[in-house]
Amino acid sequence: MKILFKVLPLRIAYAHCDIPCGIYDPYVLQRAAHTVIRMTQLLTDLKSDDPKKAAHDIARITHVKEEHINILEEELDTLRNDYFKQEHFEKYSNLNDLFIKTLKVASKARQEINIEAAKETLSGVQEIAEIFFKTKNVEPVRVKSVYPTGGEIVLHK
Amino acid sequence: MLLLLSKFKIIGHSMEPVLRNGDQVLISGISYLFKNPQKGDTVAFKNKEGKILVKRVTNIKNADYFVLGDNKNDSLDSRSYGWILGKDILGKVVYKL
Repeated sequence: MKILFKVLPLRIAYAHCDIPCGIYDPYVLQRAAHTVIRMTQLLTDLKSDDPKKAAHDIARITHVKEEHINILEEELDTLRNDYFKQEHFEKYSNLNDLFIKTLKVASKARQEINIEAAKETLSGVQEIAEIFFKTKNVEPVRVKSVYPTGGEIVLHK
Repeated sequence: MLLLLSKFKIIGHSMEPVLRNGDQVLISGISYLFKNPQKGDTVAFKNKEGKILVKRVTNIKNADYFVLGDNKNDSLDSRSYGWILGKDILGKVVYKL
């Protein structure tokens, strides 16, 4: 057996643990999606006569975009794996597809300087946030965001 | 289903004390070629995201399996995500290094 251990390639199996704290909120998710839009806008509008400064700015803005896509993916995973239960996926039959669609378009927003993909990511996130609040038996409302990206964020009454 | 034997590293604490974080195990796909998983088996299965998880079978209903971590105070398992399908079970943990 020990010889087998040496020759077989190693894979990962998760023995997931979780303290069921019950504290979930789609706020961080939405802020991350707005940040991705903002970073994409900054990359699109970037102008500089100094190539060194331009390269520096692109690196910094892209870094922040990457960071917030990571946050967004992690928050989506937490809601999908830890918060939403089978009964939610049954009641909101589009929920699983919504997660898949949002993760795919977020990946596109990560790979490209693509404002449409970034906006579509926010749109998916907002729909998920609305379903989240409905499962909490509170009425979701869309309010104007105070971010430079404009648009809306989903809160509840 | 996994092939003959696959080597896995365990990440997480939900199967303690039997399997600890960082333990390496062999998982066999052929264990379930001729019989179904049994109560008490430690199984590897795929979740909705395609991640491979390890838990223990505690109840069986038709082709559905209720799986729990041995460390029930700190485990994300069928109590959260419900019964898993038999077709998602990849193999049985047969050996721990």
